[in-house]
Amino acid sequence: MKPFLDMQLGDRIVTLMAALVLVLQIAMVTQRWIVVHIRIFAAQSLFLAMIAATIAWFNHAPHIYAAAALTVVVKVILVPILFERLVVRMKIHEEIEPIVNVPISVVISGGLTLVGYVVAESFYRPEMPGLGHNALAVAISLFLIGFFNMINRRKALTQVLALLSLENGLFLAAISLTYGMPLIVELGIFFDVLVAAMVLGILVYRIRETFESMDVSRLRRLRG
Amino acid sequence: MMERLIDRMIENVTQLFLLLALAPLVTGVIRTLKARLQTRRGPNILQPYRDLGKLFRKGMVIPETASWIFAATPWIVFFSTVLAGLMIPMVAADAPLGLFGGVLAVIYLLGLGRFFLALSGLDSGSSFGGLGSSREMTISALAEPAMMLAIFTVAIGAGSTGLTEIAGAAIGQNWRFLAPAQMFAFAALALVLIAETGRIPVDNPDTHLELTMIHEAMILEYSGPYLALIEWAASIKQLVLMTLLINCFWPVGLQHTWFGFGALQGIAWLLAKLLLLSCAIVLLETVNAKMRLFRVPELLAVAFTLGSLALVSTFLF
Repeated sequence: MKPFLDMQLGDRIVTLMAALVLVLQIAMVTQRWIVVHIRIFAAQSLFLAMIAATIAWFNHAPHIYAAAALTVVVKVILVPILFERLVVRMKIHEEIEPIVNVPISVVISGGLTLVGYVVAESFYRPEMPGLGHNALAVAISLFLIGFFNMINRRKALTQVLALLSLENGLFLAAISLTYGMPLIVELGIFFDVLVAAMVLGILVYRIRETFESMDVSRLRRLRG
Repeated sequence: MMERLIDRMIENVTQLFLLLALAPLVTGVIRTLKARLQTRRGPNILQPYRDLGKLFRKGMVIPETASWIFAATPWIVFFSTVLAGLMIPMVAADAPLGLFGGVLAVIYLLGLGRFFLALSGLDSGSSFGGLGSSREMTISALAEPAMMLAIFTVAIGAGSTGLTEIAGAAIGQNWRFLAPAQMFAFAALALVLIAETGRIPVDNPDTHLELTMIHEAMILEYSGPYLALIEWAASIKQLVLMTLLINCFWPVGLQHTWFGFGALQGIAWLLAKLLLLSCAIVLLETVNAKMRLFRVPELLAVAFTLGSLALVSTFLF
């Protein structure tokens, strides 16, 4: 196959998977059950790893495979297991209550996606073809929706999940713009994510122990 | 000219026959497959035909408070649904009544039937009827915009809202539903299909003993031939929406014209695709629990957002 056709095929695959990642992000906004929330996050990260692998394949950039493998290990396996254990240990049974109700949240997420596209459009240069124009738009949308999701949730654990999905957006942006950062930087970021997940997990557990709730609005009591 | 007219008539009659005969079969297949998946024996596939036959032979009870709307509704619902069914491409891209209107006409014909069903639910004077009507209207008011957006996405790709053109443009691009816009639109339309045909996360089609029932609550006062007409129309509507979904997004095997060996091939493909979609519906119904009524708007908000994303991404991707 000619390289140009190859690029086109790669672009289509990446676009399709980026769309799936976006759908999963919106699904996270609607989800009320925390365990399902965690699994959607794992699925989203898996698609992200597949995008990374596709970009690595079509750009002949073997070091991105390492990033893809790290994504699978850290975000698809370790972090979800960590969080599911936390859920079991804290015996969370109640549903997530968003601040804005779910239908409006979904419509707002749709609007944020549009903002993401408009912003990404201004980065687009037709003279620089390549993978990732759409992926960048999806990445910015992921970032915005993740941010919105963080504001929209009361419970600390779901806010951490939103933060991680926001980080997924950053990863997608990095990989679609630069075709991967140097491996050492990637390693640092993944180590960061893992440590952040663990530290935040412990923090959430402590908040729960102290206040008998994960509702962060109760933290105001600290002001004495 | 004369020959063309005769051809048209043959097409119409064939599609009419397919619609009327196939619709109860689809309902029966879904029921049986669902029962098998839940390790029950389930009714025979042909049970819906027997039910219809039995209902047509029975007498009727009409509520004292009912007006002419109660008597007119079954006919209006039945004929508007059949007419909508003749306007969609089933076997060939060329829909028999495609000349009379495109996809908007189909949606509004189905809407007309729904409007009269809701009226008759109120007309019968029972409190369940009113409940059912109000629920049906709530859901359809939310489902319709999502459906419109999804359909417009496909229509933009084809450059026309005529279903013949849409299906014609789709032929030959069998894998185009892998494009993000098509995928979003497909997902939105699939959610709408579930809501409109009263499938499980939204409504339970198996029982009229549930307090949250929607369709069954509206038609609770109907009996005998009228009930048969309404039930038949409901299964035809399901067939119409399913055919619309598979032929707009996955037109494998859809023919350009009606004649010769191609038509038989088209029918075979149609049956195969309907079976596949039925399996998907069965799976979806089995793994999901029915939603609380107040959660249904959330599902439809997702459909709406997907539909609008689909429409927007046709311009962006």
